[in-house]
Amino acid sequence: MMLSLVASVGLMGGLQAQSVLTKQQLAGIARLDSLTIPTPGEFFVAMDKAGQPNWTQLFSSQSAALTSSREQMALMLGVLVADGYIAVEAQDSQGVKNTGKDIINLAKKLNVSQSILGRGNSISDFAENNDWAVLREELEATQNEVKLAMAEQKDDSLVTLVTVGAWVRGMQVASGYIASNYSPELAELLRQPSIVQFLLGQLAKLPEKNRATSQVVAVTGGLEAVLKIVSADPGQPLSSEAVSTLSAAMAGVVKMIAEVPKEES
Amino acid sequence: MKNLALIVLMGVCASAFAQEAPTPAPTVSDSPLARSHALELAGAFANDGYKVRDGFWSGTLELGKPLLLEVNLFAGNEYWFSGAATNPARKIAVKVFDAKGKPVETELYAEIATAAAGFAPVMSGPYLVQIELMDGEKAPFCLVYSYK
Repeated sequence: MMLSLVASVGLMGGLQAQSVLTKQQLAGIARLDSLTIPTPGEFFVAMDKAGQPNWTQLFSSQSAALTSSREQMALMLGVLVADGYIAVEAQDSQGVKNTGKDIINLAKKLNVSQSILGRGNSISDFAENNDWAVLREELEATQNEVKLAMAEQKDDSLVTLVTVGAWVRGMQVASGYIASNYSPELAELLRQPSIVQFLLGQLAKLPEKNRATSQVVAVTGGLEAVLKIVSADPGQPLSSEAVSTLSAAMAGVVKMIAEVPKEES
Repeated sequence: MKNLALIVLMGVCASAFAQEAPTPAPTVSDSPLARSHALELAGAFANDGYKVRDGFWSGTLELGKPLLLEVNLFAGNEYWFSGAATNPARKIAVKVFDAKGKPVETELYAEIATAAAGFAPVMSGPYLVQIELMDGEKAPFCLVYSYK
């Protein structure tokens, strides 16, 4: 039995006889929020291989603005999830715990906390035990559980904003680091036009009342600017200047997400 | 990535033996079973340091109707895409293509109605993961992905 199993399950290495996909097939591509967009953790693993970021220096948890805007809270929740990944990369146990608490508190304000309270405890426990590998998975699971709860309470538009917030924060931290430690290999990781297009497409589908909020307008504008930068000179790594411009644009967007709106202050 | 053959073998042994036992035929909507099998396969790669994404892709496979999912991958990372379908699917395949639809070189694994493709991109960017029913009848599927 074992011999036949060995024969039958061996990996089939190399390029199999496959044909190029047809235009018709390429027209039917699925894109999913949960898989098409890489997690910040996935992005940071690639950064670790192309450079050696000092994650401790890069970790600076954003404090959630006291806002009544659900859109802003959802964007901020995504930012905090990305901060959680940075704290994990920095192996900052207290930072992970604090960020986990902030995520849960913000989820409470969005009325999606009940289902993820257990996740908050898990994050704290894993951080206490320095279980960094599991924490990366727990952060993604927490984010997905929040999104699921949002979808269940018919807040689908907020799901998009959590994804956008996490991606924007990841790009801000990554581009900020790469702007100061430029290498073509690192800069190449920032060229993500397909993701930006996907996120802009998702934002465009939001109901008008969500799209009109100042934070969503700012984020949309920021992503449009980013799309121009990362789409220029395809096939070439982003230049040092382009990375700096990208970093400034992302910092502006995150600041807008994190600060109290003028109309509320 | 090639030394994963043994890991995959060990991880899949349990499910392969389990499949010998008669099981009730699941319905087409029984995707949790497909997800369970896909995660079981992905679990074999976890032993080699791969982290399994929490999200999953599910639906229904039909003969002659392969399905495509866009994923965005980073140069330097390594990936495994693990798929599974349930009865009455008998054989499936998972393949990876670049954004223009050209096949890329992958490590492939297939066993009954589970299959996986391992890929280490040289270029960051969008790629397409295809899952296809090779033998059997219309059945639910699930695909998950792992990275390190």
